[in-house]
Amino acid sequence: MARLGLASLMGGIALALLGLSAPPARAGKADDTLNVAFALEPEALDTYKIAGREGLILSRHIYDGLLYKDLDTGEIKPALAKAWRFTDPMTMEFDLREGVTFHNGAKFTADDVVYTLNTVLDPNYGTRFRIAIDWIERVEKVSEFQVRIKMAKPFAGAVEMLADALPIYPAAYFKEVGSAGMAAKPVGTGPYRLVEMTPGIRYAFERFEAHYAGSPKGRPAIGKIVVRTIPELNTQFAELLAGKLDWSWRIPPDQAARLASRIQIVNGPIMRIAYVGLTVAAKAKDYPTRNLLVRRAINHAVNREAIVQAFAGGASQVLNAACNPKQFGCAQDVATYAYDPAKAKALLSEAGLPNGVDIEMVFAAMPRPVAEAVASDLAKVGIRVTLNEQQYAAGVQKWRAGELPAFFTNWGSYGTGDVAFIISNFFGGGADDLVQDKEVIDLVTVADTAQDRALRQENYAKALKKIADQAYWLPMYDFNINYGLSTALNFKPHPDEFARWWLSSWK
Amino acid sequence: MLPFLARRLIVAALVALAVSMVAFGLMFVAGDPAVVLAGQAGRAQDVEMIRQAYGLDRPLPVQFLGWIGRALTGNFGTSLYFNLPVATIIGERLPVTLMLGSVAFLLAILVSVPLGIAASLKPGGLLDRAALLLAVLGQAIPSFWLGLILIVVFGVWWGLVPISGTESWQGYILPVIVLSYYAMPALMRLTRAGMIEVLGADYIRTARAKGLARLRILMVHALRNAVLPLVSLAAVQFGMMLSGSIVIESVFAINGLGRLAWESLLRSDLPVVQAIILILSLIYVTLTTAADLVNAWLDPRLRSA
Amino acid sequence: MTVLDLDSRILQRRKLWRRINRSTGIHLGGGLLALIAAIALLAPLLAPHDPIAQDLTRRLLPPFWQAGSDPAHWLGTDNLGRDYLSRLIFGARVSLGIGLGVTLCAGLIGTMLGLLAGYFGGKTDMLISFIITTRLSLPIVLVALAAVALGGASLQTLAIVLSLLLWDRFAVVVRSATQGLRNREFVQATVSFGASSLHVMLRGILPNLRNTLIVVATLEVANVILLEAALSFLGLGARPPTPSWGLMIAEGREHILFDPWLIALPGSALCLLILAVNLLGDGVRDALDATSS
Repeated sequence: MARLGLASLMGGIALALLGLSAPPARAGKADDTLNVAFALEPEALDTYKIAGREGLILSRHIYDGLLYKDLDTGEIKPALAKAWRFTDPMTMEFDLREGVTFHNGAKFTADDVVYTLNTVLDPNYGTRFRIAIDWIERVEKVSEFQVRIKMAKPFAGAVEMLADALPIYPAAYFKEVGSAGMAAKPVGTGPYRLVEMTPGIRYAFERFEAHYAGSPKGRPAIGKIVVRTIPELNTQFAELLAGKLDWSWRIPPDQAARLASRIQIVNGPIMRIAYVGLTVAAKAKDYPTRNLLVRRAINHAVNREAIVQAFAGGASQVLNAACNPKQFGCAQDVATYAYDPAKAKALLSEAGLPNGVDIEMVFAAMPRPVAEAVASDLAKVGIRVTLNEQQYAAGVQKWRAGELPAFFTNWGSYGTGDVAFIISNFFGGGADDLVQDKEVIDLVTVADTAQDRALRQENYAKALKKIADQAYWLPMYDFNINYGLSTALNFKPHPDEFARWWLSSWK
Repeated sequence: MLPFLARRLIVAALVALAVSMVAFGLMFVAGDPAVVLAGQAGRAQDVEMIRQAYGLDRPLPVQFLGWIGRALTGNFGTSLYFNLPVATIIGERLPVTLMLGSVAFLLAILVSVPLGIAASLKPGGLLDRAALLLAVLGQAIPSFWLGLILIVVFGVWWGLVPISGTESWQGYILPVIVLSYYAMPALMRLTRAGMIEVLGADYIRTARAKGLARLRILMVHALRNAVLPLVSLAAVQFGMMLSGSIVIESVFAINGLGRLAWESLLRSDLPVVQAIILILSLIYVTLTTAADLVNAWLDPRLRSA
Repeated sequence: MTVLDLDSRILQRRKLWRRINRSTGIHLGGGLLALIAAIALLAPLLAPHDPIAQDLTRRLLPPFWQAGSDPAHWLGTDNLGRDYLSRLIFGARVSLGIGLGVTLCAGLIGTMLGLLAGYFGGKTDMLISFIITTRLSLPIVLVALAAVALGGASLQTLAIVLSLLLWDRFAVVVRSATQGLRNREFVQATVSFGASSLHVMLRGILPNLRNTLIVVATLEVANVILLEAALSFLGLGARPPTPSWGLMIAEGREHILFDPWLIALPGSALCLLILAVNLLGDGVRDALDATSS
């Protein structure tokens, strides 16, 4: 009795929901406020200490960098620096823009650049990602509106990093309050200023009317932004349907399809890719994954097409090379492994494992069904997977310690369109490299530091070919994101997972 | 009375110390905080640097003693995630939780105790069966589901209450209902069982035989003896409501202590977790002490203990 | 209770048996529980499909009462295209085992601690109160995360962790009930006859805690099953692809707004199990009460 009652009640609600005929949501347009929801809490708004995407998005609305990358054209544009040049391969010089003011009224000068960057270079400052700054040796003031960056090592991603990833803080204020002060009350030059904040819960922004003329971000069309944390996705859906939300993201494909008739769903590909890392290095235990034939069998056994279709949806596609095809240097003419369970079985037999093999796979930061689908496909050819779910930190710790034969997770390349930000981490000989292939390490090291694009491309291609040929990875697919938007909003998604609300407008 | 309280204070201090210590160790077992802080894009070099920058490379006992030392002077440190004083962050979330928990608890008591008494009067009767069904449903219906249904019906369809957040008092209505519904079955069933037992006891029959008014028997004699375990359980339930139903806070986007604790655990925000655990242990010691005091007042024979 | 002669004992037992035979609660609850247990035991024979066989082309098929259902999958399919009915049937194994097993273990631990604390009072009580409060203040999630990171997931680990964590309510309730009973005349009487403490606790006090224990236990069963799901989601618990009801509820959560049946079905199964346990508990208590009075 309870069962039927419950079931019919819920069926009724589901039907009613689908047939819901409320007027389209336009709440935010009426008072020129973009209502945004994140599922995760943004971190302290000191860009240099943020690891999560939510906090980084907010901080890019508050702060500006020396340069700016127009992702639509791929062009690097002047921002706080109006011109820049390499005076020698290890020195960059910047002419700074005059007449820029911070949210607190302070005037922007070379001192701000020098103090900000030199402060965050200090290891004691605790800058989150070494890769962002470890290429800088020091920053020098040349004149009131000119600075010079001395590089510590050749780094192909230097310009990319300076484009909005290394924001400039107001020196006097930053000196006075430090990182904690910036977190409590951020002050930048960006197109929006933070007017109210309950950390992790609610952030209110207003357009900064004095945002400098000629900014590549431009003058935003929308006057106010309110960002809230709504951890439960279903609650976000309810708010979207009720017109209380104008912007949310990371809506799973199944739900996006159901919502599409009621709100605006926009889909966009991103840099992030899913992959299964396999342990090959000699320092690790004698895992079956050290055998090339087993690794190839794994690649043949998983029906990645079906998995992408079922779970990734949108623009996602199966990967062959160990990178995102949208990235510079991601060569596509590498060995491919078609879905072929029979061949996988044959390869296992050839490897002397006709009765199959047992293997542990940990998955972290991946949807559980996807991991289950992979495990089930592997089981069909005799690779019996012990599937364990772990928090990312615990999983990656085990991986680095060489205690895992297979680690299923994802990598976002810092949203950057250059393979340097993916292969050098996993195949460059560092702590995350559980392959330690000398040849690949050498190729990658040269490519990472060279300025010559052709040489870089060639080396990366060679490395990727070897990686695919040796089946060091099971590359899965590139991600895409569904955005749930008010029907009244114009929003363009970008592959670097950065929302640019300064480009949004009302219809 | 005073020695009793003094003993309890000692227990409280010991509990706080023990729990802090265990929690501190478990945090490092569950995942190196430096790795967690480095995030998913963090590489081995980043982890090393964070470890140094936050002093996570020192031996655990040294770190723990350092924390205890500062906590004793009222300095709970800075959140590794928000880079703000822990006291500020908890100060923002605790009132919400206190409000939600207290109101929900009151509602749960007001509904479940009378219902339990009424059900006990005629075991197997219609009311009893209805109460049983309610309790069973309360246990089996996941609170996030109930919460979402209420959101859809009252928030989306009828637009009567805000869907999420606690900016206005209306925002508390649905979460209070769900949270109290979640606590009701236990309180109701225990009241009923206690009452049935006591009503069958000799002294109640004697009282009845003496012709005492039915209501008076119920309230003064029966209930008083039936509620001893109930008071203790209620204290624990209240504590659980305060430590927050994480699920309910998630569904209604309520930023209370429960979700802060949960998120902080997952992101290894050591100072925040430690402070919350300290608060929780103090809350539980206070509540269990209060329950013992109430029970002593209800049953004078316990006072000698 | 302790000084009954043999005759009246036999008489009582007969009376009890008659009560049990007449009690609808016991029949209904016991019957339901037996049915669920039978389903769990005979799962391989009853399930129409392999509960872990995936078919990604047939994901999220609706159950029979909704349009677009497939007669081959009477109750539809889950996110991975696995037959929902078969998973429900097999899920009974884990849920029933964990639900009853953990409740039993946790109940034993909690009752023992509660009895000791309530009976002896003083230093013993202080020590046990200390343990209880420590346990209450320690977040379950933290313990679970540490356990996962240490040993990985398995049902045994889960059962042990849950048993070691969920005794608190038993202990709290038993402790205060024991405090109330200790000074009652009949207990004091046995004490003055020179009975050992153990004897008084087990024979004098424990039987009188029956009602309370039954209630707490019936409440804990559901709690355990749902918690098992929550922990499975952190990686501790039934390892995929093993189904359990709690896990099915947790997995359906993402889809709740549009496909609520994914939760309604395992939720209803859980509901029936709890109902069965409750009815049985009430029935047994009524029968025992009626015979002892």
